[in-house]
Amino acid sequence: MKGITERIFHRQRSPSKARMREIDQLNRSLMACPACDALWERPTLAPKEQAKCKRCHTTILTNKQQSAERTVAFMIASLVLYAVAISFPFMRMERSGLSNEISVIDAVAILANNSMVLLAFICAGLILLFPLLRILLLLFVGLSLFRKQSTARPHALSFRLAHMLEPWTMAEIFMIGVIVSLVKVGKLADIYLGPAFWGMAALIVIMAFGASAVCRDTIWHDIRRVS
Amino acid sequence: MTTAREAGLARCSSCGTLTNRPGEKCAVCGAKTHTRRPNSLLHVWAFWIAGVLAYIPGNVMPIMVTQSVAGDSPSTIIGGVITLIHHGSFEIAAVIFIASIVVPVSKFIIIAWLALSIQHGRALNEHRRHLAYEAVELIGRWSMIDVFVVAALAALIQVGALMSILPGAGVNAFAMSVIFTMLSAMSFDTRLIWDASISKQELQNDEH
Repeated sequence: MKGITERIFHRQRSPSKARMREIDQLNRSLMACPACDALWERPTLAPKEQAKCKRCHTTILTNKQQSAERTVAFMIASLVLYAVAISFPFMRMERSGLSNEISVIDAVAILANNSMVLLAFICAGLILLFPLLRILLLLFVGLSLFRKQSTARPHALSFRLAHMLEPWTMAEIFMIGVIVSLVKVGKLADIYLGPAFWGMAALIVIMAFGASAVCRDTIWHDIRRVS
Repeated sequence: MTTAREAGLARCSSCGTLTNRPGEKCAVCGAKTHTRRPNSLLHVWAFWIAGVLAYIPGNVMPIMVTQSVAGDSPSTIIGGVITLIHHGSFEIAAVIFIASIVVPVSKFIIIAWLALSIQHGRALNEHRRHLAYEAVELIGRWSMIDVFVVAALAALIQVGALMSILPGAGVNAFAMSVIFTMLSAMSFDTRLIWDASISKQELQNDEH
């Protein structure tokens, strides 16, 4: 029992002050290209300026202004739109007197009920769960950086996770899929779009703006400074 | 020009912090640091094979079954594209064809080509290969369109009406294929492309 607790505490122990200073010193002067590993002197950027790697032309440093503030603003807007997108009816189908109204959650539930559990899980994750998690994580990071709170470890973990989730949030692809399916059934039935459809469309736009407001370099720099 | 690895440094792939102790957990974000992703190509190939294997049933088996009074009619991805062409929806047919056939197949080819070019040390243009990788990373996710089309159709056209649409087994396989291929591309360490370019330069320097 003692061994386990020791191991957990050892894992959670943050690096010593001296080590953090050493790391900070190193990162003040140097940086490496994420795509080709070329080592460069860390440039000092003017606001909105970008640095590109001389070897592979990947953008290696950005300096977006008020990144934390703008991230918070976009994430709050996203959260409201997300609530609209999942709680209101997404679309309604009418055909020879029969009408069928579904929300996004209904759609996932129908898949699960039709013994398509794997597909239901994939859709629930990619459309509902991951986008929500990403919004909340970025909101948390942005908000606490914005308020200059010093909770470095949870920040770092949340921001890392938010970045990992980025390729797995597929709300925009889902919307294109929905539009294609509308064309497919358009001749069979009358389709009416609900408020959730427009909510989700707006959510995609706002989330795209939110993603471009996040300046990874600035935020990691702030997290590094706080720790 | 030197690389971080040559200088004895490693860049944390998660937060970008440089460390002078590669292999240690990153002091800032806690991720494990490596000079190069360990066994990158092994992971690439493992997920690539899984992706290709799942892609076959994804295309052969029906992705959805339309039930009506006339009986069940299963349709595959290609079948769906052909039906759309018959109905005159050429744009939508093109979207599905590109997202479900052109993109996955070219993804398989590009990833295999990148991995092989590194394993065989071919002297190919690094910029071109880098661009190909970035294209794969950017476009790969969009193959999911057809999965969501089926999900939306199945949810919308349900039992009770004169006609209902059920998802077929192929759609599971296809979704897994897209996920595996995304994982395969993510496992690829782009720095390997540029490492080869350094060893090529060294080779030329030795010859002169």
